[in-house]
Amino acid sequence: MGKPLIAISHLSKSFGDLEVLKDISVDISEGEVISVIGPSGSGKSTFLRSINMLETPNHGTIVYDDEDITGEGYDARKLHREIGMVFQRFNLFPHKTVLQNITLAPTKLKMGTKKEINDEARKLLAKVGLESKADEMPHNLSGGQQQRVAIARALALKPRVLLFDEPTSALDPELVGEVLKVMRELAEEGMTMIVVTHEMGFAREVSNRVIFMEDGYIVEEGDPKDLFLNPRHPRTAEFLSSVL
Amino acid sequence: MDIQWSFILTVIPTILKGIKVTLLISVLGIALGFVLGFLTGVARTGKNRILNRIAGIYVGIIRGTPLMVQALYIYFAIPTIFQFDLSTVAAGVIAIGLNSGAYISEVVRGAIQSIDPGQKEAGICLGLSKWQVATSIVYIQALKIMLPGLGNQFIISVKDTSLLTAIGVAEMTHQASRAVTTTFRTVETYTALAVVYLVLCSGMSYLLKKMERRMK
Ligand SMILES: Nc1ncnc2c1ncn2[C@@H]1O[C@H](COP(=O)(O)OP(=O)(O)OP(=O)(O)O)[C@@H](O)[C@H]1O
Ligand SMILES: [Mg+2]
Repeated sequence: MGKPLIAISHLSKSFGDLEVLKDISVDISEGEVISVIGPSGSGKSTFLRSINMLETPNHGTIVYDDEDITGEGYDARKLHREIGMVFQRFNLFPHKTVLQNITLAPTKLKMGTKKEINDEARKLLAKVGLESKADEMPHNLSGGQQQRVAIARALALKPRVLLFDEPTSALDPELVGEVLKVMRELAEEGMTMIVVTHEMGFAREVSNRVIFMEDGYIVEEGDPKDLFLNPRHPRTAEFLSSVL
Repeated sequence: MDIQWSFILTVIPTILKGIKVTLLISVLGIALGFVLGFLTGVARTGKNRILNRIAGIYVGIIRGTPLMVQALYIYFAIPTIFQFDLSTVAAGVIAIGLNSGAYISEVVRGAIQSIDPGQKEAGICLGLSKWQVATSIVYIQALKIMLPGLGNQFIISVKDTSLLTAIGVAEMTHQASRAVTTTFRTVETYTALAVVYLVLCSGMSYLLKKMERRMK
């Protein structure tokens, strides 16, 4: 394997006196699908949010595509155009239609003519199975549909990496499947994905690597089959037995 | 006591001589208030500590003192300190502007802070600039939430202009009080005055409600 797309070394982050990330080092290659699991409060969201600079780390570096994004004067907007984010609570824009949610950023970023942007947005809606909902307002959609729109919105920037922070945790159980299906398809197409999740099925079947975090540390990481079957660390085993 | 209810109709035209001034001061004052309120409201949700502090002090002073005292201070004290002349109308506009600005500031700040921070984060994660996030995501949603509060403040300011009689602004209350000094018809005149304000403010309230509904 060549150079990693994202190289994180010795990252730490504190909120006041509370150290949330402790000496995190991990490399991520293009095309990898990584699941991040761990108990509540272990720092999973903070880890994910550090990667696209929603949080500023206190120490350590993150190198993305050979550029130190934690360095002084790095323009975060450049990063945001390449790394997309999908949130637990969707964060769709309630004052815009489904289609406008998707076209807003490409329009503001002048990624094409109005027609090109609209056509592309409709294609993305078809991809997530919602072409008929283009002109609806987000609040008229179910949670699963809203999350699929949010994924289409992130895809509209043609990102190289997608970050997901518990994308199915706010959904009714019967709606989880339709979102996971879209994510699985993206993974099969080769999208680089980092997914914080409680869906152990997804972690085991779709991802190439699982990271187990606890108390701000990466306790263990590895191939999902190994990690789920033979966890090396007792804490991993304990966590897995509590969720499986 | 001899009360001539028909005098109410006679005195209304006298009171209405002041309506232009009442409306002029209301409209100019609240326009100034909107500008001040939006700037300071935004400043108080922003990261710039100095601007935030200045806006906070302004709102604190205005909310901590009565409008009447503010008007007296603007008309009598400030021109004396800085040695210049100020017309009563100009002083009235400034007083209403500074006063409504502080309350609008609260409305604006509250509305902006009520928008889920996840909205801003979603915008940032889509590569938008701070300005784009503010204008096309956060403030536009906040504006909808502000509308009832802004309309409310407009009506309050119209009513507040009656206090400007204290600095001799020739608005409606002033006209009524002058009529009383010559006719001594207190009950009829002040009844008429109350009715005029009631009609004016209810009418505005109705129009604002209609506008609000239209915006939704
Ligand atoms: N902005 C913040 N300010 C202060 N403390 C924070 C902030 N964000 C997170 N924390 C704290 O940091 C710790 C880790 O939070 P984080 O959200 O990263 O955990 P998590 O693993 O994602 O948990 P969950 O599974 O509940 O989402 C928690 O104790 C949390 O309370
Ligand atoms: Mg979390």
